[in-house]
Amino acid sequence: MISLAVTPHMAVWGKWLSDALGTTATGASAGNAIFGIFLSLVVYLIGQWLFKIGKGFFLFQPLFVGMVLGIFILFLLAKAFGTTTAVFYKSAYLPGGNIIFWFLNPATIAFAIPLYRRNDIVKRFWPVILLSLIVGLFISLVIIYWVAKLFGLNNAGIASMLPQAATTAIAMPISTAIGGNAAITAMACILNAVIIYALGDWLVKFFRINHDPIGAGLGLGTAGHTVGSAKALQLGSIQGSMASIAVVIISIVVDLVVPAFASFMGLH
Amino acid sequence: MATQNKVTPTDSPQPTPILIQMGIFAAVLFVSSLISPLFPASFPVPTPVIGLILLYLLLATHIVKLHNVEKFGDFMISLIAFLFVPSGIQLAANLDILRTEGVQIVLVTLIATIILLVVVAYTTAGFIWLAKHVFHVNTTVDN
Repeated sequence: MISLAVTPHMAVWGKWLSDALGTTATGASAGNAIFGIFLSLVVYLIGQWLFKIGKGFFLFQPLFVGMVLGIFILFLLAKAFGTTTAVFYKSAYLPGGNIIFWFLNPATIAFAIPLYRRNDIVKRFWPVILLSLIVGLFISLVIIYWVAKLFGLNNAGIASMLPQAATTAIAMPISTAIGGNAAITAMACILNAVIIYALGDWLVKFFRINHDPIGAGLGLGTAGHTVGSAKALQLGSIQGSMASIAVVIISIVVDLVVPAFASFMGLH
Repeated sequence: MATQNKVTPTDSPQPTPILIQMGIFAAVLFVSSLISPLFPASFPVPTPVIGLILLYLLLATHIVKLHNVEKFGDFMISLIAFLFVPSGIQLAANLDILRTEGVQIVLVTLIATIILLVVVAYTTAGFIWLAKHVFHVNTTVDN
């Protein structure tokens, strides 16, 4: 148990709190999921409230606020418990966080529904969809490679940036296989979603992407994963359907294309 | 012509009870979790990706009807941003990576996100333009 022995009465409080949160010095989970679920909901709802009173200011997007505020609260609590943020995160937050995280499984397969609702578009445009995702990913890889090089990332850093269009569970092993750091790739995949969620509307307007609803959908699904698909659904049923199909196909294209691209560029 | 097989939620009868809808989701996930390990380590296909394809195929073959799954499915989709909060907070465990090379990584990721969005969107628009003007395919869609 982590002691919070600044003053004797604080030590009592510290023991009570660390018992309640299930915090242990090793970071091993004591299995109390309530704090993680409660914190996730509170920070997200604060985000929703800020977004409402901030009249939709993009930095007040609930997911972004929730993430920043959540990390900040864990950072402060870790300081108070005299431990590192990573250890506190693991022992106090993760048990609850994992329960919410699990529901991404049914939420992801649920995108089969908007995809099927516009099956007419899928049937008519599948060659264009397939070709656009393969060619679009290839062009993106070339640009991302040079941008990463320009920012002075080493080969491991560049390799970590390449698989991010795929869903995390595919991107991480691919990253490792091409000499990247799976944790950085996972971080990139998460940031993709947060960025698209926060800036998506603005980017779609700024780059005039919505002229072509099929392209807008495929782009949002590729760049923002399932969160991008939710954003695309707000633009329309075609965009939502195309984003859903992009999430699936781009993951498989990354599986096939990124290892070949990385070895062609001599990354590993 | 474009509308003839557009699937609208209005043509669906009474929605299936929510617990049965959850059962269908659980069954699809379970079967997907059995299929996922069959793929080699060099070609990973995770359970939810297989599940999405599987549920789509079940809908396309009319084995599962929209009204069997859409109430629970639409609800889950409406939660997606919240469900991502733990993933965002997961970055707390990686603060040390961010401290050393974080600024470049975050900037490259930001640019990469925009590149993926813009390049894929415009590549698609380009191919649709080609289909329309070179191959004379009817590319009009109704929203």
